[in-house]
Amino acid sequence: MRILVIEDEQLLRGQLTDHLKDNGFAVDAAQDGEEGLYFGREYDYDAAIVDLGLPKIDGIEVINRLRNEGRTFPIIVLTARGHWQDKVEGLEAGADDYVAKPFQMEELFARLNALIRRTAGYASPVLSQGDLRLDTAKKEVRVEGQAVDLTAYEYKVLEYLMLNPDRVVSKIELTDHLYDQDFDRDSNVIEVFVGRLRKKISPMDMIRTVRGQGYRFVADVPV
Amino acid sequence: MKQSIRNRLLGTTTGVLVIFLTLTGWVLDQSFQASVVTGAEEQLRLVIYSLMGGVEDEDGRLKVGEDLSEPRLSQPESGLYAQLSDDINGPIWTSPSAVTSDVSFIVPVAEPGAFTFAAVASEVPRFALSYAVIWEGAEVERVTFSAVTDQAPFSASISQFRRSLGLGFVLAMAVFVVAQVLALRWGLRPLRVMADEVEALESGQADRLQGGYPRELQGLANNLERFIDHEQRSRTRYRHALEDLAHSLKTPLAVFRNALIDKQLNRPLLSEQLDRMESTVTHQLSKASARGPVVVGKAVDVTRQVERLLRALETAYVDKDISVEMRGDEAVLVRGDESDFLEVFGNLAENAFKYGVSQVRVGVQGGAPGARVTSEDDGPGIPTSLRAEVLDRGKRLDELKPGQGIGLAVVAELVSLYSGTLEIAESELGGAFIGVNLPG
Repeated sequence: MRILVIEDEQLLRGQLTDHLKDNGFAVDAAQDGEEGLYFGREYDYDAAIVDLGLPKIDGIEVINRLRNEGRTFPIIVLTARGHWQDKVEGLEAGADDYVAKPFQMEELFARLNALIRRTAGYASPVLSQGDLRLDTAKKEVRVEGQAVDLTAYEYKVLEYLMLNPDRVVSKIELTDHLYDQDFDRDSNVIEVFVGRLRKKISPMDMIRTVRGQGYRFVADVPV
Repeated sequence: MKQSIRNRLLGTTTGVLVIFLTLTGWVLDQSFQASVVTGAEEQLRLVIYSLMGGVEDEDGRLKVGEDLSEPRLSQPESGLYAQLSDDINGPIWTSPSAVTSDVSFIVPVAEPGAFTFAAVASEVPRFALSYAVIWEGAEVERVTFSAVTDQAPFSASISQFRRSLGLGFVLAMAVFVVAQVLALRWGLRPLRVMADEVEALESGQADRLQGGYPRELQGLANNLERFIDHEQRSRTRYRHALEDLAHSLKTPLAVFRNALIDKQLNRPLLSEQLDRMESTVTHQLSKASARGPVVVGKAVDVTRQVERLLRALETAYVDKDISVEMRGDEAVLVRGDESDFLEVFGNLAENAFKYGVSQVRVGVQGGAPGARVTSEDDGPGIPTSLRAEVLDRGKRLDELKPGQGIGLAVVAELVSLYSGTLEIAESELGGAFIGVNLPG
């Protein structure tokens, strides 16, 4: 999952970025509204975390503009606890949720995961397709009730595919959303991951290769 | 800077007065001139009548007797001249006064029996009047009597009149301006007094207005008074919040300092102290940043704000699938600060969404004046012990644990700032019932 963080306080921005990366997210961090808006326009994100009091362009304005330009990725606003005006204005501008500062990282991640899931159409934190279950909270995958041991990258690939079911996902999209920018795009690492992943979740055959285009996660296959 | 009130009043009234006096002067001058000219004409007419009376007819030859009733006619350059002429011979007789003067008598081609009057603009301006008659038995029957007078004496009287008029007006004007300045000074005195008092307030020499203003200023003075009051109250609140904040942060800060020395990190203790710091900061900040009941300014539509909040919360809590029931009167207006109200209703409604299981019910009723806002949910409700803590004014609310308590504490604080009341009870939905009554 690729996340955009727009936060002007350096300490908090650094902490957010580190914690998000530790939790398996790819992160772009912007230090003001202008930079944030640029990132939001240029790249496709799975979610954004936007502080409201930003230099150059105000957070509410950033959200407004992104929404007016048709950007639909979920947005969480960070507000000061005692400022309901900010929360209401943020949500009215098009944000999907708010987290009040000071916050616990766990709470923010829970909200973030819930939002990403919700956007993909899952109601519960456990994504389930047939006998395949992926628990986003525990980062655990089960096939027919049996826990499957996945590496972090394999897990990320599977989660992303499950969150984008019945849609062709290219290798480039996968690298864009799962890895930081310095990732070597020419490598065939993705193919290797997907190959191993298929084996591990067999007999479930849900990840189909679309020749020359990428992969498709096929939902609701009869077993 | 705009023109002062004094200059505005003085300027307009003086302007109006000048225009008024000019018009009056012009009208008076015109009528005086007209009456003077009419007087001159009348005088000449009398001269002509007396001439006619003095005409002697000697076998058809007309002549004027030596004994003239008007002595000025006999006196050279007296300024009054007369002539008798007929259509064929021209002048038959000219008054002795005209002998040394170059007087042109006008002989109009008028109908007999009609007077012709004219102002003659010659080197010496004059008035002339002619009268033609048919004299029966004369050689030339149609004869003309003419009389001419210098304008000088008449002009002199007009000039005299103008001088007195001008002098009178200048005097009246001066008296008026002085009176006006005095009246303004007296009339605007309360404003100056008020400005001085406000200045004294500013420099800290006084802490309230002295009062005793005229009716027109009393409203302004009252508003100002309330403003100052409000200002002083928020300053006090601010200071108290800051003192409390500093005071409450000392303990946790000390704990942290000591924890640095301790070999073993007591995580639960530190976490508890952090929670405490967080709730202290939140609580004191909301206390200090509350604006309180506004003195002047527009009223806030409570129903609209609550609806905004519910819409926003429905977005944020879309996962919870809560059914929201909102019953609000149309346009319930309460004077106050929008962000204060959002703070109150936001905390109430958020608690309902957070703790409610599937149902939230919000009501807004307009009082006369004021408003009653209620929030209900089907959650676990608020424990009786917490209710008492929240409603107890003397309680140090910032020592409450984060969670439902801190939001309610903020609500309680704000509601009391607006002299409102807070009710906490059980809802028929099974969870918490919270009612806020705000005075208008």
